[in-house]
Amino acid sequence: MSASDSQPFHQTSVLVTGVTGGIGHALVSTLVDAGATVFGAARGNSGLEALQSQFGRQFHPLCYDVTDESAVKEAFRQLQKQVSDGLAPPLYGLVNNAGVMLESPLSVTSMDKLKQQLNVNFLAPYQHMQLASRLMSRLRRGSIVNVVSRGGQSGSNGMSAYAASKAALEGATKSLAKELAPVGIRVNAVAPGFIETALTSHYEGDARHQVLNRIVQRRAGTPQEVAEAVVYLLSAKSAYTTGHVLPVDGMFSP
Amino acid sequence: MDNLQTLKQAFTTALGIDAAAVTDELTYNTIPEWDSTAHMILVAELENVFDVMLDTDDIIDMSSVAQAKLILQKYHVSFG
Repeated sequence: MSASDSQPFHQTSVLVTGVTGGIGHALVSTLVDAGATVFGAARGNSGLEALQSQFGRQFHPLCYDVTDESAVKEAFRQLQKQVSDGLAPPLYGLVNNAGVMLESPLSVTSMDKLKQQLNVNFLAPYQHMQLASRLMSRLRRGSIVNVVSRGGQSGSNGMSAYAASKAALEGATKSLAKELAPVGIRVNAVAPGFIETALTSHYEGDARHQVLNRIVQRRAGTPQEVAEAVVYLLSAKSAYTTGHVLPVDGMFSP
Repeated sequence: MDNLQTLKQAFTTALGIDAAAVTDELTYNTIPEWDSTAHMILVAELENVFDVMLDTDDIIDMSSVAQAKLILQKYHVSFG
């Protein structure tokens, strides 16, 4: 096996948002194992420091709020400066993983809550794709993976704001796959179902049992299983795949 | 190479046109080579050669070679 087989992301950088969550951590670990330099974004410094101490020089922390437009621009400036200074390889990949999940029926969903869902789950990924694609198009190659949701495709009772925000991101994924193909950038998405993370840890007892009964494989997914799917779509193994939404859900019916 | 030559080179590379065609009057969407895809490549090329990061509003306003010069001057790129 050659080095490029064991480390397919050697000499490439990947920006991952939301790295301090369960899926984010699995993403960083999987990408580092595959040889990538990972720029990891999160709001809290402590989580980033822990990742840096675990992954060393292959992990470059970026501390900012993904919904702060100015902070996002500044993060991309920092990233590009490190590339220009030879401290990191050029940006090849982007994973829009940061997200929030609001469970709130229509009658009690305030406009502020709705806007927060759209800001974090759609507008922030959109701005990241805008800025990342400009860096990727310099080399005429790149791969973007958005983390959407099965709920965005099928709808989810009591989660209309969340589902709408993820459906918006899915629409952008398919549209940008068409728009960015001429400059060598692929855009795909993964749609996790019920995954064991902090977002779903409050599902216990009957609530958990009811969810698991709607999954053909009768179990929750793991962050690692989501990370493997994301990394596949980022990698050259999926070179002829763009505009695709890959479910990672054990065949879940939301 | 001075900044003007670098600018012209960026346009010829991104749009695939002759250097002679890169005049101040050359405007977005008036030639087949300068379409929305080429515009994206042009922005990437300009950012790369001048080591700047343009604001989205400036990219929207960059509708001609003359405009590109004006906008780049905001990023401390001078054209003599």
